[in-house]
Amino acid sequence: MSNIGRRDALPIPPTNAEVKNTVCQYCTVGCGYKVYTWPVGSQGGLAANQNAFGVDLRNPQNPLGGLVYTETMHSIVTRKDGRQYHVVIVPANDSPINFKRDHSSRGATNAVATWSDARATKERLKYPLLRMGDQFQVITWDEALAILAGVAKGIRDKDGNDDNIVVKAFDHGGSGAGFENNWGVGSLFFKGFSVKHIGIHNRPAYNSEVWGSRERGVHELNYDAIDARLADTIVLWGANPYETASVFYTEHMQPNIQGATLEEKQRNLSRGEPVEAGYMIVVDPRRTSSLTIAENIAKDRTLHLRPNLGTDYILANAIARVMWERKYYDQRFLETRTDMAKFEEYKEKSLKVGTPYAQFMAEVERITGVRRADIEKAADWIAKPKAGGFARRTLTIYEKGIIWNMKNYDQVAAIVQMAVLGNNVGRAGTGCGRLGGHQEGYVRPPSPTPGSIYNGGPPVNVDKYLTDGKGKLYWVIGTNPYLSTPNNQLFRKRIRERTKALSDFLGQSGEPGTTQEWVAKILEGLDATNGLFMVVQDLYLIHTAQDAHLVLPASAWGEANQTSINCNSRLLRLYEKFMDPPGQAKQDWEICKLMGLKMAELYRAEGKEEEAKRFEFGKNWRTDEDVFLDGGNSYPNNAIPASEEATLPAECYKGVTYAFLRQVGQQGIRTPVRVENGKPVGTLRRYSVKFGTKDGKFSWYGTDDWEGYPEEVAKYLEGEKAQKYPFWMTTGRAQAIWQTMYNDRFLPEKMNTLPMPYIEIHPQDAQRLGLRGGDLAQVWNEEGNGTFLVYVTDSVRPGMIFALQYHHLGTSNSMTPGYTDPKTTIPWYKGTRVAIRKVRGALPDLQNSTSFLQQNKFD
Amino acid sequence: MVVSRRRVVQVLGGVTMASLTGAGKAQFWFAPSLTYPAIKVGNVNNLKNNEPVYFNYPDARSQGILVKLGRPAIGGVGRERDIVAFSAACTHMGCGVQYKGGRFLCPCHYSMFDPAKAAAVYQGLASTGLPQIQLGIAQNGDIFARAVNGLIWGRARNI
Repeated sequence: MSNIGRRDALPIPPTNAEVKNTVCQYCTVGCGYKVYTWPVGSQGGLAANQNAFGVDLRNPQNPLGGLVYTETMHSIVTRKDGRQYHVVIVPANDSPINFKRDHSSRGATNAVATWSDARATKERLKYPLLRMGDQFQVITWDEALAILAGVAKGIRDKDGNDDNIVVKAFDHGGSGAGFENNWGVGSLFFKGFSVKHIGIHNRPAYNSEVWGSRERGVHELNYDAIDARLADTIVLWGANPYETASVFYTEHMQPNIQGATLEEKQRNLSRGEPVEAGYMIVVDPRRTSSLTIAENIAKDRTLHLRPNLGTDYILANAIARVMWERKYYDQRFLETRTDMAKFEEYKEKSLKVGTPYAQFMAEVERITGVRRADIEKAADWIAKPKAGGFARRTLTIYEKGIIWNMKNYDQVAAIVQMAVLGNNVGRAGTGCGRLGGHQEGYVRPPSPTPGSIYNGGPPVNVDKYLTDGKGKLYWVIGTNPYLSTPNNQLFRKRIRERTKALSDFLGQSGEPGTTQEWVAKILEGLDATNGLFMVVQDLYLIHTAQDAHLVLPASAWGEANQTSINCNSRLLRLYEKFMDPPGQAKQDWEICKLMGLKMAELYRAEGKEEEAKRFEFGKNWRTDEDVFLDGGNSYPNNAIPASEEATLPAECYKGVTYAFLRQVGQQGIRTPVRVENGKPVGTLRRYSVKFGTKDGKFSWYGTDDWEGYPEEVAKYLEGEKAQKYPFWMTTGRAQAIWQTMYNDRFLPEKMNTLPMPYIEIHPQDAQRLGLRGGDLAQVWNEEGNGTFLVYVTDSVRPGMIFALQYHHLGTSNSMTPGYTDPKTTIPWYKGTRVAIRKVRGALPDLQNSTSFLQQNKFD
Repeated sequence: MVVSRRRVVQVLGGVTMASLTGAGKAQFWFAPSLTYPAIKVGNVNNLKNNEPVYFNYPDARSQGILVKLGRPAIGGVGRERDIVAFSAACTHMGCGVQYKGGRFLCPCHYSMFDPAKAAAVYQGLASTGLPQIQLGIAQNGDIFARAVNGLIWGRARNI
């Protein structure tokens, strides 16, 4: 017995199967994949000349390099011609990212996540849906857009601005998004509309998550994957790549720690430079698998720093202070490449050079809980020059543990400054940037927020704007805020209350039958009830959509051509279309184009030619490539020398065409792209000559002092509440699932592995609470509640739990507070206090089928 | 221990399997799409808890791993329903898994599989559990491999 259907044979693509290049739709790494499609009814043979793989399948494949074709890499889909087709999606053998056909458990399920009416993915949306009282009714695009445009125009006509048009939309690559769809969404809301109340998919505002780095002159995507193989030391700060960027870890970091890249180091680094197997520093409240695997390989070259939650920037500054004391810096580099006037502010506020070293370090130990000896060891590993006076090469990679920490701006700034002090940006084997979560593909007209509080910000907290009762139209695109916003329980309740108020109004005396009356009654109801008209544009009827008035079906990865870059090499590639979307689902860019044209039609009918023209941004978009090229043209002049690359936006691809991308295939091209002699040229590594500031010099910043925790969390640390909510809770992701599980919830492999959201708890705490692996626990505080499965593990310390952030059956965000960094409006999703109790009883079937073994134990 | 002298038993239908104990165990608990041989891979009397036995199945080019867990397992046979067997090729990239500390661990990229839960992958890059080899036990305690539930890595079909 096994509760997942298994297969013991797979169809073999015949030699005439169609072959397409693509890139995994999921994580930041962007592994290359090949897609084979052919009509059901035929098959290839086992001999190499009888199948499209060109591989001899009569003999088993060689491990670590042979063809990878596993059970989840095949499915059958139906195309618009009504016929069934086999789809095989296997790791490519010619990718500079996933060597040897490596792949993750996410990418391996690309094929089974495709839409089919014969599988669980039949839940995909096919047609626009309109709420009629308590039901959704299928309508046409024409009808849906007439209602939506009518409502949007009615709101604008009344207000004279777009303040009440509120948007939450993806801004990423991969996952059916990419440059085309970003340009479509951006054009609708920033060219057609002038929306300023817009939030990005996973947070309450329209902001960079790393202004603390960008405003220093360092875009967060500045290194290449090769740097992880060349580095003397890799620092993972609030980043767990084994689980969230798996192949970047297994193909680029792990070999370095194992000493398997020495030859590559000798070839690429300076002549005579000493090379050895890599060191790894992991800064994380948990003993993550990225740490414990490295420990398993080389305990003596692995260091774990475990700062108290929220204190990371104090720790980064302390490591930098050690570097300063021990003179681990290059004075000439500082003087020629960085702003020395601002450096004084950094020395005073961040390094606190005015405070005696011993006193400073004692204070840091008290705040962070990290021992002075470990801080000094970290500084040595990061920046102590090597034998012969060669500068050490350290690659520092951070992600949500820093970004979604308390004081986002100062956290990010402290880490990039620590890296630049050691001259660890812009050289081979160095860099300081994000690990990334998803891929990127941002190209949009200018957005409404220029920067942090130091540059015209901070941006508006759109979640709060809505929960405060403002806004009339709320349009959610490609994200599920009922799982992803902070203070989630409050957000859900408030949005439901406001959307229901409008639904109830529309139902009074019966819902109107004509479009015009429908629009008029919505507009009337918005004023009468302070309600909210909610539109959800997505692949599925997600949680948020259940309260929507209008649902628009979007098409997915593989159902159109699209382009994106990965984060670890900024590698731009073409993701080719290999199947049709379900029903009438459309790409986001096309929905935005059609909405724009519908708005133009309404304005033109009133003789408002100027307004009509604003909304006709997409009238010449016929193909995916039209949109790609239109977006590309918005970048500045890129016919500039390599030494000027720092002046370009990180994702600049001007001059690149689909034909070019087809030609380069999996090799892609690294953005920012420059044009030399009429040909596009990529950028391997950034900031080797200049930083991305006006004068090209790194712009230092003095971080704040330690000021304790914000009120929203500090309230739990005193008096009665300290007794009542005795646990710290930090949050994050799990290896097996992707984001909010929008696809994974339909895949039995995923649901068997992670049937519910879970917490990790230390054995001592578990024993005290009577909890065992597989039990259920209620976790709560004044913000909200959640029911979680229990894993008992030493990954967390006593007194702290880890909770899975997104699962389709619940989110840790219900308990996170509404706090955001006042400098950037970025939330602190990863720290608050909670109470925990064992839920009586158990779910025996789930305990029988799911593993509760310790996930970070590899010895 | 490697079973070097495999005894290939006639397969198919109930006739051969009638020699195996327990009517229930003689049924396949899944529907194999291929015809598998029945091969002797060990004897219950020689198995010790947590001491794995390696064997080849369904042919000489595929290693299997047989283990008595000492606790009941999905698909387990024997009095304690704790004897299980799986393909030893990691379903990620084909490296041989090790039985260590009560679970299967792949030394190449660290995927881990829970032997009591049909070798479900509970950590790592593998996307499916290790293929489980269905076992049957004859009256004299001989353990037979009878079919493979799941695709053995590196093959388009198991046989």
